[in-house]
Amino acid sequence: MKQDKTPLILGILAAVLLMVYFLPLQIYVKHILILTLLYAFLGTGWNLMCGYAGRLSLGHAAFVAVGAYTSLLLFKNFHLTPWIGMLVGGVFAVLVMLLIAYPSFRFGVKGPYFTLGSIALAEIIHNLLIYFRDHTGGSLGMSLPYEPTSLAMFQFDGKEPYYLVILAFWLIAVFITWKMERTRYYLEAIREDDDAAAALGISVNRNLIIAACISAFLVAIGGTFYIQYYRYIDPYSIAGFTLSLNMALVVVIGGSGTILGPTIGAFLLIPLTEVLRMTLGASLPGLHLFLYGILLILCIIFLPKGIASLPGKIRAKKAKKEAQTNQGAEGVL
Amino acid sequence: MAEKILVVDNISKRFGGLQATNEVSFEVYKNEILGIIGPNGAGKSTLFNLITGFYFIDSGAITYKGERIDKLTPDQICHKGITRTFQVARPFGGLTVFDNILVACLPKARRVADARAQVSEVLKIVSLDKKAKTLGADLTTLERKRLELGKALATNPEVLLLDEVMTGLKPHEMDEMMELIKELKKTKTIVVVEHVMRVIMNISDRIIVLDHGQKIAEGQPKEIAENPTVIEAYLGRGAK
Amino acid sequence: MDLVLQIIVSGILLGGIYALISIGLNIIFGVIKIVNLAHGDFLMMAMYACFFLFTLKGVDPFVAIFLIFPGFVLLGVFIFRVIIKPLLGSAETEVNTIIATAGLGFVLQNLALMLWKSDIRAMETSLTGQSYEFAGIMLSSGRTWAFIVCIVVAIVLYYVLMYTKIGNHIRAVSQDSDAATLMGINVDKIYTLTFAIGIGVVGVAGAILAPTYNVYPTIGLYFNTMAFIIVVLGGLGSFTGALIGGLIIGLVESFAGVMASAELAQVFSLLIFLIILFVRPEGIMGKGARV
Repeated sequence: MKQDKTPLILGILAAVLLMVYFLPLQIYVKHILILTLLYAFLGTGWNLMCGYAGRLSLGHAAFVAVGAYTSLLLFKNFHLTPWIGMLVGGVFAVLVMLLIAYPSFRFGVKGPYFTLGSIALAEIIHNLLIYFRDHTGGSLGMSLPYEPTSLAMFQFDGKEPYYLVILAFWLIAVFITWKMERTRYYLEAIREDDDAAAALGISVNRNLIIAACISAFLVAIGGTFYIQYYRYIDPYSIAGFTLSLNMALVVVIGGSGTILGPTIGAFLLIPLTEVLRMTLGASLPGLHLFLYGILLILCIIFLPKGIASLPGKIRAKKAKKEAQTNQGAEGVL
Repeated sequence: MAEKILVVDNISKRFGGLQATNEVSFEVYKNEILGIIGPNGAGKSTLFNLITGFYFIDSGAITYKGERIDKLTPDQICHKGITRTFQVARPFGGLTVFDNILVACLPKARRVADARAQVSEVLKIVSLDKKAKTLGADLTTLERKRLELGKALATNPEVLLLDEVMTGLKPHEMDEMMELIKELKKTKTIVVVEHVMRVIMNISDRIIVLDHGQKIAEGQPKEIAENPTVIEAYLGRGAK
Repeated sequence: MDLVLQIIVSGILLGGIYALISIGLNIIFGVIKIVNLAHGDFLMMAMYACFFLFTLKGVDPFVAIFLIFPGFVLLGVFIFRVIIKPLLGSAETEVNTIIATAGLGFVLQNLALMLWKSDIRAMETSLTGQSYEFAGIMLSSGRTWAFIVCIVVAIVLYYVLMYTKIGNHIRAVSQDSDAATLMGINVDKIYTLTFAIGIGVVGVAGAILAPTYNVYPTIGLYFNTMAFIIVVLGGLGSFTGALIGGLIIGLVESFAGVMASAELAQVFSLLIFLIILFVRPEGIMGKGARV
């Protein structure tokens, strides 16, 4: 059974990633690893609401932005340690999520309408960030005031500590997903048929809201990591459609509705994107994204359920075949 | 001796210009099988939707074990002990048969492991134990109906509302299903909506007849079969 | 009072143009039931096509329309066959088509970036900078003609949808594709045709817009958002809804642009959009979008 193997796989994966920390790697490889784990983390958060519950959000960057700007502003104006700022950002993100999720679920906004609504939300946040330029720096963005390596202030001069932090975050996110077994089942049922789920005693709204809030909280924390690592954000990159799309992509390509799907997707897509960018980005602007877009389209056509779902797909096909041969044996009743 | 477990008191429901349910009242006694019949469009499925909270009644009251339930949501009503099946089976297509039943067992189980332990039992009752790994979407119509019943049973209801479970079954499959329902009667109360007359007549302790949203008759199967109002509703005036 | 009238008229002109952009989207969304996130990028491509036809070959934009429309229709057929069709009919169709069209958007934007760089292109036609005066109100020439062409195209499309056999088939498929199949309609062909028409129409819209807007690779994003807001506001699948929705958004933008900043105008439109989603997702003219 799926569930029995997960802690084992997770443990091995975590151990391997931890050992990587000790390897002497090039700077840009470390950067790719950090970015990959960041997306694995963000994707896992996205997956909780969108993969399991099937409500496709392409505006999750809104929550990343809330987290990032909250902790940044608290640090800049009050010198509040980003570790706490991160939690505050998470709470704000949950509040924003509740503001939109509660009416959405209550009014039964589903499918493409939900997706469009999520895009609209991200755009609203994007525009508000630009509008309040006196506080947020507008479209020019804001930098993180530099401080030499300090654990308390979540800033490090080298890449290695960031790697450990994001590794820990990722581990926590995946662990939470794994632990929420009951909710996962409920969400899947809700995704398939929410009336049928309700008829069996599952509270649709409550489960959706729980998933949505945890999702928002996690990606907001990712936002704080983003600003602490990159030391600079602007509305376009942190509240933009590209970030939202990438969060969705790593999950869909990796296999949505699975515990490790987002991680697999991140490990496939992010190194690829970065390598493309580094080799081709300089020569002809846009080439790497052009190729990336084509690869994406190909991926989605040939692997419509993502990669992590492959074993499940094979199992289901086998079961179908078995059932058919059995039926043949029983003859026509 | 018989205890009233579900009381439907003068309920009505209107959808725009259509009075789907019109002052319907009846009682259901513990451990009986109550049959509901009526021509197409009589409002039978609407009745189930009203009782289980998918629609809210405009007026009247629905009482379950002495408690008003007409303002509760479907999941709350399921927790109280009433579970319904859907006329067109609604399996969770992307989940395996096993997981379909598991999901149904979960809300009332204290731990996931407990729920898991109950699944194979239910699968056996509805003869789907060999199909545990098949996806819901890959089942045949008959298997879907069995799964539908299985999911309902998995919630361990006191009152089971079956909406046309016989549709599409072959005669001997119907016999099996009838036996199963009669077996379930020992521990549960069952309300059955059906079109297949021989089934309803065979298994029901009592029958109520709906037509155009109203109850037009109530009684023992034999009385109903000979009731002129009922015959008229089905066959039209002048048919005797 | 004059100012208000001016704003209203500008809003109407703008609205007509927005409406045309969203009609193409509406058809695709309403019939095939998929979200085409690359819609704005097709618009962008058409704008570039018009620009180059004019600056390199001296083709007048209004003539260019007759070249661009068939070209984009063929493009639509190609895109549908290659990208969309393989994704239809599965449980993940919705997610996958959204992602595939998003990827397509990337491809188009960056293709434009690679080929034509990020410089802003502006066309200088006989209409540039001209305005007509009517009862004391100034109407930008370019926008006025664009508006007229939009109305004409809309009327033609309306006629086709309502009074031709093909239009009938399209509407049937949009209401119930299974029933349509049972009636002998080749749903696959209708889908292809619908998608192609949708892309063709947005191509026309691009050609109309090019003379009056600056062209750059990412201009599609802005119009995309607008188009979706209008489609939902007006009502999915409703032709007149797209027109009404376009007019409303045009007016809102016109007023908001004068009274507040550009960003707030957008926020305002987006908030309206969200409220519509909650309260009346079927839009002003649509039916039954709520689950």
